[in-house]
Amino acid sequence: MGSLRVSADRESCVTSSLCVYRLPQVFDQDAEGRVLVVDEQPPDGLLRELQRARRGCPTRSIRLEGPGVEPDEAGEATP
Amino acid sequence: MSASSPIGYPLPWAPAPDIPESWAALGERPLQEITLPSGDPALLVTRYKDVRRLFADERLSRNTFGRASRVSASNDLFGDPNIDNDPPRYLTERSVVMRAFSARRIEALREVVKVIVEELLDAMEAGPQPAELMEAFAYPLPILVICHMLGVPPQDRPKFRRLIDGFLSVSALPEDEVEECRKQYWEYLAELIDAKRAEPGDDLISDLIEISREDPSKLTAYQLQHWVKTLLIAGYVTTASQLGTGMAVLLHRPEVAAELKADLSLVPSAVEELLRYQMMGTSLGTLRYAVEDIELLDGSTVIPKGSTVLLSQESNMDPAEFDDPLKLDIHRTDNHHLTFGAGIHFCAGAALARMELQEATEGLLRRFPGLRLAVPGEELKRPVGGFLAGYTEIPVSW
Ligand code: SF4
Repeated sequence: MGSLRVSADRESCVTSSLCVYRLPQVFDQDAEGRVLVVDEQPPDGLLRELQRARRGCPTRSIRLEGPGVEPDEAGEATP
Repeated sequence: MSASSPIGYPLPWAPAPDIPESWAALGERPLQEITLPSGDPALLVTRYKDVRRLFADERLSRNTFGRASRVSASNDLFGDPNIDNDPPRYLTERSVVMRAFSARRIEALREVVKVIVEELLDAMEAGPQPAELMEAFAYPLPILVICHMLGVPPQDRPKFRRLIDGFLSVSALPEDEVEECRKQYWEYLAELIDAKRAEPGDDLISDLIEISREDPSKLTAYQLQHWVKTLLIAGYVTTASQLGTGMAVLLHRPEVAAELKADLSLVPSAVEELLRYQMMGTSLGTLRYAVEDIELLDGSTVIPKGSTVLLSQESNMDPAEFDDPLKLDIHRTDNHHLTFGAGIHFCAGAALARMELQEATEGLLRRFPGLRLAVPGEELKRPVGGFLAGYTEIPVSW
């Protein structure tokens, strides 16, 4: 168990599946295709991949907290 | 606003599967005045960061009908008064449809796609050389896949293909012929849905009918028909065009193609790079309408309220986002191209298209390690007056 915290906004998720393909050990989808976080405290070693997944999400639905997490890029946040 | 004098859009294509320099030059101005094929004016947003942000900006409405500029003077495919494409209505509809496109469902379909790919390649191998890649492979594959998903009877495939091709004309066909295709296509869909209603199957149309029957507020009969129309079109032409053009771009560069053939584990990143690079389509389908003034990230350029706006595919060539953007680099990582859009309108079929493109590319190159263009790339012809800008014919040998 790491010190990272992952959460996702199921309301804004648009079922792109990008996070699920990138990190199936952390993300999954429910029957409707909306994102599920299956590991909310993934190992620290996944930080880089998690940041990529956050960046790749078309609706900015993924949140990351913890040591070493870079701030999300400014100006791109979903309203 | 600091925009220059208008240019025609889409930009002229290079004759070969190359990127015209003019696309790269667009990035120098964040906003470019353009003239659409209809003759109407619009504003093109060129920079990656602006485009990505604006995809998620609700001040840009997708509901353009009757107020924005038109893409085509002879075809109103690109606006539909009965569909409000903005949230919250759009989100309810979309979530109903999207359950069919989750990673798990798409992975389950992968096996079906592999079988279809093999069968098409068998037929290609048994036929004469050179083969014509669009007819032999690029068109049939996505048609067979989307028909499988939606439950369209095999015997209807030629018919719906003819109607969709007419429907998608921007300027290739006269107005009355487009209208006739449109009418016939709409009638065909109504019959198809009625048939499924009478005899449901294990397919997406039957699922959508069931949802619409249980709770019509989630999906009205009209919206049901609209989505079936959209899924059939989007599942077919875009993937076919992308597949053909991607292969043309790749085979036009034999050294890159050789590298990929030698290491098929590069197929996923190569598919992403071809998606970023080749721009099979245009941004034409995604007209938006500014309901307020919107400032761009440079802090000085403003999209005036009431403008028709296009978020350009050319932003995939923005050097601020991609190193050496005019280079086709099949090793590129973190390739967050905007070919599928972003925000709530992110292409519903993206995961399906990706999977098909991966299986198709891998299947082709595995089966035909000697695959090459049978004519010089410069001689490949692009269609005139259609929605997508792929190639009409791609002769290949192996
Ligand atoms: S990447 Fe974003 S939109 Fe796509 S499935 Fe994950 S949370 Fe949803």
